[in-house]
Amino acid sequence: MADEVPRSWRDPDLLIKALPTVLLQTTCFLAPLVMTFLLTFQRSRNFQLQWSWDLWTWTDVFSKPHYWTILGHTIFMAAACVAICLIIAFPIAYGLATRFKAWENEIKVLITFAFITDATLKIYGWALFLDKNGMANYTLSSIGLPPEMVAFLYTDWATLLGMVYSLSAFAIFTLYLSISNIDRSLILAAYDAGAGKFRAHWEVTLPLCKPGIWAGSVLIFLLSVGAFLEPKVLGGGKSPMSAELIRQTFETRVNWPLGAALTLVLMVVSVFIVLLFSRLIGLKRAGLAA
Amino acid sequence: MTAILDIQDVRKSYGSYAALKGVSLSVNQGEFIALVGPSGCGKTTLLKQIAGFEEPDTGRIAIADADMAGVPAAKRPTSMVFQKLALFPHMTVAENIGFPLKLRRTDTAEIKKRVGQMIELMQLKGEYLTRYPRQLSGGEQQRVALARSMVSAPKLLLLDEPLSALDVKLKKVLQAELKRLHRSVGVTFVHVTHDLEEAMMLADRICVMRDGAILQLGTPADIYYRPAGSFVSGFIGETNLLPITVTERTSAGLFYRAADIVDADGRIAADLIAGNVAKGPALLMLRPELLRVLSPGDVADGEIAAEVTEMFGKGGTVQYRARTPGGQMLVVEIPGTSSLPMRIGDKVRLGFTKKDIYVFGAEA
Repeated sequence: MADEVPRSWRDPDLLIKALPTVLLQTTCFLAPLVMTFLLTFQRSRNFQLQWSWDLWTWTDVFSKPHYWTILGHTIFMAAACVAICLIIAFPIAYGLATRFKAWENEIKVLITFAFITDATLKIYGWALFLDKNGMANYTLSSIGLPPEMVAFLYTDWATLLGMVYSLSAFAIFTLYLSISNIDRSLILAAYDAGAGKFRAHWEVTLPLCKPGIWAGSVLIFLLSVGAFLEPKVLGGGKSPMSAELIRQTFETRVNWPLGAALTLVLMVVSVFIVLLFSRLIGLKRAGLAA
Repeated sequence: MTAILDIQDVRKSYGSYAALKGVSLSVNQGEFIALVGPSGCGKTTLLKQIAGFEEPDTGRIAIADADMAGVPAAKRPTSMVFQKLALFPHMTVAENIGFPLKLRRTDTAEIKKRVGQMIELMQLKGEYLTRYPRQLSGGEQQRVALARSMVSAPKLLLLDEPLSALDVKLKKVLQAELKRLHRSVGVTFVHVTHDLEEAMMLADRICVMRDGAILQLGTPADIYYRPAGSFVSGFIGETNLLPITVTERTSAGLFYRAADIVDADGRIAADLIAGNVAKGPALLMLRPELLRVLSPGDVADGEIAAEVTEMFGKGGTVQYRARTPGGQMLVVEIPGTSSLPMRIGDKVRLGFTKKDIYVFGAEA
């Protein structure tokens, strides 16, 4: 635990030192946010921004269920992505931290390489692979299975596959860190107290992984809420997610006020969900917050 | 007395490294036994085999007459106090102590009662129950760890150097605590430590290990006054080892000759002798506190002339270092008095009685 720095925010010395950071944060983060917020009170007419200062855009947002359906779908997809990533990542991270110690570094390098390869490249790769005439179907039919078995390109499942593929590394690494930080004697202590393998896992390993599970979940959730490439390429744009809707609103419909409003809605809802879950999980209570 | 723990020729290797080279040990019900040795001697490895975290390659471990082969740690009637305590950081003190009971499906009211009893036994405060381990001091964490290990009433309590990380003062307090606990609950304790002094204070019997084998098993007095060889003798405190030549050995005792011992006419007698002593070179052990300064006219069974070279006041005692004419350095420890019997540079006569010395084979 870090030593507490007994300094007031009114400390002039500290304020001067913090100035560059504060300026940077204000100009690059806060200012755009305020501008986005102000933009929502304007209108767009004939692809022209009009400084109307009214609630027209917000009335539009709250009166059209279409936007909210897309938002709901986005949240659902993001949640599903988080769940699948965790389920896939846990055994990988556990194995990496406990069983494959000898190969740990090699495996980590491989995962990192797969992870930092350009996302567009990977997603198009999947599209080619899953295409009606793609690798997957070709391989399956060549071993005698009926043609076009793999018909899930341009469905939500394909979108999900792409998202999980791009984001699972976050869960693998955060979980890996959590698991490898668990003192081995804690697990032995659980066995010694009479716990079987499963019980020791459930009572000790899993709760102690909470910070990792949480960190991974937040990262993956926020990134999947913003996913636009996967729904577009692998989902075929048939059921767009919020990010794609926002992009369309800005670029295709050139309706900046509406785009800004949708962006804010997405941000507020995502942050609300994250805060809600952090309350529910109660990291603070268990004193496991990083 | 019945053996609660019976270990027969246990061997364990990690790859090409033999950690245990055939260890046999029998521990009686209610006994406090200490496994002592330098790091890497196999004491912790042996404890792991008893706890069931590892299975020995060959040999047999029986607890309360039941063979433990294939029995996992969770099913053994043992409980371990870990070196790093291994308290669950995500559980409160009450949850930690009650954990073994929870796993045994004990009902909540019973768990609460037993945890309460443990808190009382360990002299912990009731308000600690809802705290987390990291909110407690080192000594309190130690007590919680002990409470968790004892709550399920194990037949064997295994302690893996739980006091090694504590400062000296707290260590002393907890050593006394362990002793009290052992007396009051009557559970068999197997205590691993590298600190022979700690073992002396606590244990009924001490098992000194080195290189995966038992060097000596005996009472603290055996280990201190009748060590099996120079390694054990040097393991605790300071000692004087004098090379001697055994001239005669009979069933009653032996006679020896030594360069530095005055009047060595080859007929100096010794009572306490190890089994491995034969005619020829041997070592004579003399604890520093068993040597005394002879005044003119005093006689002793054995006598060594020496010149005082150094002096250390230790409060209760004074330690001298003296050199014999033959160049052998001797450590002498005598009770401290306001007037010192010797000063640096004094030539003195040091005496000992034949029942206080111990002779063992030179190569041991």
